[in-house]
Amino acid sequence: METLSINKLVKTFKDGNKEETILKGIDLELSQGEITALIGASGSGKSTLLTVVAGLQKSTKGKIIFEDRELTEMNPTQLRAVRAKRFGFVFQHAHLVQFLTVQEQLQLMVDTAELNWSKKKREEEIKSVLQAVDMWSHKDSYPDNLSGGEKQRVAIARAIIHQPSMLFADEPTASLDSKRSIEVIELLRSLSKERNHTVLMVTHDTDMLKYADRTVIMKDGVISES
Amino acid sequence: MKVAWKEIVKFKTRYLILGTIIFLISLLTMTISGLANGLSYDNASLIKDLPEGTFYMQEKSEDQYNLSHLDEKKMNKIREAAPEATFLSIQMGELENGNKNHSVVFVSTTNSSLFPKVEEGEVILNNSIMAEGVNQGDDLTNSLLDNKLTVEDFVDQQKFSHSSIAFINSTDFQKMYRTDTFQIAFVEGDDTPKFDGLTQYSNKDFLNTIPSYNAEQLSLNMIVIFLLVISGMLFGIFFYMINVQKLGTYGILKAVGMKTSALFKMMWIQMIIITFISLILSIGISQLLTLFMPEGMPFLLTIESASIMSLLFLGIGFIGATLSGFQISKVEPIQAINQGGV
Repeated sequence: METLSINKLVKTFKDGNKEETILKGIDLELSQGEITALIGASGSGKSTLLTVVAGLQKSTKGKIIFEDRELTEMNPTQLRAVRAKRFGFVFQHAHLVQFLTVQEQLQLMVDTAELNWSKKKREEEIKSVLQAVDMWSHKDSYPDNLSGGEKQRVAIARAIIHQPSMLFADEPTASLDSKRSIEVIELLRSLSKERNHTVLMVTHDTDMLKYADRTVIMKDGVISES
Repeated sequence: MKVAWKEIVKFKTRYLILGTIIFLISLLTMTISGLANGLSYDNASLIKDLPEGTFYMQEKSEDQYNLSHLDEKKMNKIREAAPEATFLSIQMGELENGNKNHSVVFVSTTNSSLFPKVEEGEVILNNSIMAEGVNQGDDLTNSLLDNKLTVEDFVDQQKFSHSSIAFINSTDFQKMYRTDTFQIAFVEGDDTPKFDGLTQYSNKDFLNTIPSYNAEQLSLNMIVIFLLVISGMLFGIFFYMINVQKLGTYGILKAVGMKTSALFKMMWIQMIIITFISLILSIGISQLLTLFMPEGMPFLLTIESASIMSLLFLGIGFIGATLSGFQISKVEPIQAINQGGV
């Protein structure tokens, strides 16, 4: 079953009179629960594709259909609501809020997703997710007191706490050493399989490809192999 | 609310600096406002303590109460339209007690519940004269009056043009100043009649006829306005600097779906918390300062004026913080993602 369908997606950047087309008519379908790795050389358009599909940038042409709704037709408010409620994000850097503890980072995400959970349900879910990423013992720690790998685990917890349908991971292991990278990607895979998340992951690290169900290679703004 | 407070607690030094600056400015503003009110009261408590109503003076006196003369005919006309009207005269002068002279403002009125009743040969004084060695029962003299005036009583805070008031009987007043008229009529209430040849003044307008009152108040109020504007600018600059540092965080929060309005709300809550604490402290300390102020220094900060100032501070802080917060709405999540972060 398809979660997300991309049809003839074009993204052109304008700089004065200069125009550069980064995505040149992308067609791609992502199935529910599938982990898709997007790989390609620098400038191939993989990160642009991820951000356009995630609603962080507008497309120039084409369609993105997510759960039977056309994202490309949505206004910024509608897109924000989809990002808050149905999408989860893991970036290259954890991008945690400096002044919130691990537990509070997740509480903030629950509030952002406007989930009407009872206090008990909220506490249970946060505990369950933090235990899943093995960070429950750090629940009262601030980001400054965590290692890079620990921060990324918290970022994964924040990305899944509101039970999104899709996870977008932009180079989630790029800032970690190889040992921590494997821990993080294994965690990402096990959690998304357990919770049936559809994952679109951009990576330049070929060692990560074995953790994906499918690899899409991009070259010069088009999909060269899928 | 919790997130906003958490940030203040985590970065206490930076918010403590802003809080201290706002506290100092609000303390200065409250103190100057208290002094302005105190001076205003010291200048014209005789008028300020009266209920709202209308003052009448002769048109040709051109706003100078000591040049106004309401003769019997005019007074009767006023009495016909407003039987409760009070007539009064005000004149600078002095009283002698032995070898000591006391500068006072003589006030003489017709019978009225608004002013103390004084019999001929008696005087009722503002209580600050007691500090100059005048006591109840003392006989005071005036070079313009043959008979002595016996101090009958003292009243609290009755001043005009920064001088203590001496309430005397109209017969004594007329003897001293060789007149058989009153200068001013006062009618209490909103719906007051008009009369040909007389100018009407509200209480506030009448205060402005007192020499120096307007200039004194304008100067002090200008200082208060400047301090309010400066505090607004400080809020703007401070939150601008904090927002610049937090643009990355804002971008990520917007990327994960947080509403821009929620980010503004967070900033407003921080502004309200800082301003509220600063104002409570500055109002409290400005009241404590009155205990250490030299005796005779006029200072009056009522709950009403402190509340108005506090609302103004909150309003200006809100505008300053909101203007600086426009950066939040311009933040693009994509830029934040591409930058490094915690």
